Amino acid sequence: MPLVFKLAFRNLFHDRLRLIATVIGIVFSIVLVTVQMGLYLGFGRMVTTMIDHASADLWIIPKGTKCFEDPSLLNIRERYHALSINGVAEAIPLVIGFADWRMSSGEMTPVFIIGSDLRSGGLEPWDVVEGRIEALSSPKTVAVDRTYFDRLGVSGIGSTAEIRAQPVRVAAVTSGIRSFTTTPFVFLDVNRARTYTGVPSGKASYLLVRLTQDADRDRVRQEIMSNIADVEVLTPAEFRERSRKFWLFGTGAGAALFAGALLGVIVGTVVVAQTLYSSTKEHLTEFATLRAMGSSKQYIYRVIVWQALLSAALGFSIAALIGDAVVRLTAATALPIVITPALLVGLFLLTVVMCVGSSVAAIVQVTRIDPAMVFAR
Amino acid sequence: MTEPLLEAVNLAKDLGSGAAKVAALKDVTLSLNGGELTLLMGPSGSGKTTLLSILGCMLRPTEGTVRICGHSTAGAGAEDLALLRREHVGFVFQSFHLFPTLSATDNVRLALDVRGQPSKAARVTSREALSKVGLAHKTKAYPRELSGGEQQRVAIARAIVGNPSIILADEPTAALDGENGRAIMKILAEIAREREHAVLIVTHDPRLLPFADRVVHIEDGRITGETPGGIRLSKLPKLQ
Repeated sequence: MPLVFKLAFRNLFHDRLRLIATVIGIVFSIVLVTVQMGLYLGFGRMVTTMIDHASADLWIIPKGTKCFEDPSLLNIRERYHALSINGVAEAIPLVIGFADWRMSSGEMTPVFIIGSDLRSGGLEPWDVVEGRIEALSSPKTVAVDRTYFDRLGVSGIGSTAEIRAQPVRVAAVTSGIRSFTTTPFVFLDVNRARTYTGVPSGKASYLLVRLTQDADRDRVRQEIMSNIADVEVLTPAEFRERSRKFWLFGTGAGAALFAGALLGVIVGTVVVAQTLYSSTKEHLTEFATLRAMGSSKQYIYRVIVWQALLSAALGFSIAALIGDAVVRLTAATALPIVITPALLVGLFLLTVVMCVGSSVAAIVQVTRIDPAMVFAR
Repeated sequence: MTEPLLEAVNLAKDLGSGAAKVAALKDVTLSLNGGELTLLMGPSGSGKTTLLSILGCMLRPTEGTVRICGHSTAGAGAEDLALLRREHVGFVFQSFHLFPTLSATDNVRLALDVRGQPSKAARVTSREALSKVGLAHKTKAYPRELSGGEQQRVAIARAIVGNPSIILADEPTAALDGENGRAIMKILAEIAREREHAVLIVTHDPRLLPFADRVVHIEDGRITGETPGGIRLSKLPKLQ
């Protein structure tokens, strides 16, 4: 084991109480950053979940639409304009909107309606655990997620309720289709969706375009835009990005999450800097002895930086375990915390940078060290 | 005549500034030769430690020149001085200054580690140095497990392991009882005699006189005289 590493290790573990304080500081900081960034990622995924699960090569959306949940409408006749363009195989209307769900007990709760042409399969419910999607073609049938059974006052297949004073019956149950707004999603046929949301029969929220196999997506997109007024044509990736941007940055939610993460970094940096500084101060005579022995400043810096790196490794390992537990605990909630391998690597690098950066104060202190202090009695 | 290993000429050192300025050293000229153990004696506040700090390249003189093994310290930066110390000077301190979290071997090995010597070879050399000071059986002991005398022996092993030409010791026996003090002095005297090192010991303890080749007296920042040591080093018994 290199002696410089051994010295750093022993310095660090010599004062257990200070080490614990350092590690707690790092763990607190990194867990806070992990949660904030995990929420950011989770939120980012939640807001695009419908776009992710839609079967479309292109989305025709009303001009200026900010996100999937935007209530703007376009004329259904644009569907035929789209279908007339060479390369367009299908243009599936999608109707979305809020509605009131009335339970059999009489209580009301808002729901978010997703109405799609079930024969074309534009945006069908996924992860169906009870019943069948095909059942939704029957009149008055809907699909709901079992997460929201209590909220909707239902218990499974066959349960009944009312939307806009019209009776509905649960014909399919999904698992894990949660809304970040906590408003339950209700899937049904596009025509009944119009009735329940009040969208006129000549209107739709979006048109999901499927291309023929040999179609050039960019060319089709240009043709749609030049043939249909007041719409935008986006790829799923573009619509996803637009929705994400709106919810994360248009609403300030992302800024709040980043602010929380920044706070975590600041707290961690201050805690580590303080403990490294006090540790260095306590070992100042030892560092002065090293200097008297002729060590270069870099040699002493290496001791301090190793201390910082060891603290980082220890703190990150514990924070990662806590992060893993948090991910598991929130997996089934409305807003799961998501940790990707890239985030994990990023957090490790952040921990290292934070801890090494924190050693600057200690290094500055050592830079000013007077080796002659070893003669002090 | 061989060139002195350490040569200081017309050294002056002012400490503080303005009204608080004190002339700590005035016109000090001193040379240390290989194979010689020199005592620097004087009362408290006479400038012994200031002179030791300048000779050890830790403090720059206000005036005068210092040459270490032919290298002048004039105009040298902090890292240049550190290099001179690393290559030519070993220190022994009154309060040992051992690293409490490292074993005796590792404490000694540090002096080689700062010189960039490979770990495995350094470990062997460090154990040899500990053997030379009679601590072959305590290589794995930590400073807290060693007596004061043993700790000072580790410090001496650390000072000599890099084979520097000059050993500067600051009151090396002050924290020890008589028996341990004598043992330490015997080791230092033998280092001077056998290795042709120049050993300078700062002290105000007259019991060390028998171990010295020469005694330099300092008072009020001036060298006031030089007397021969109590006995010749060659007459000292060899250490076991």
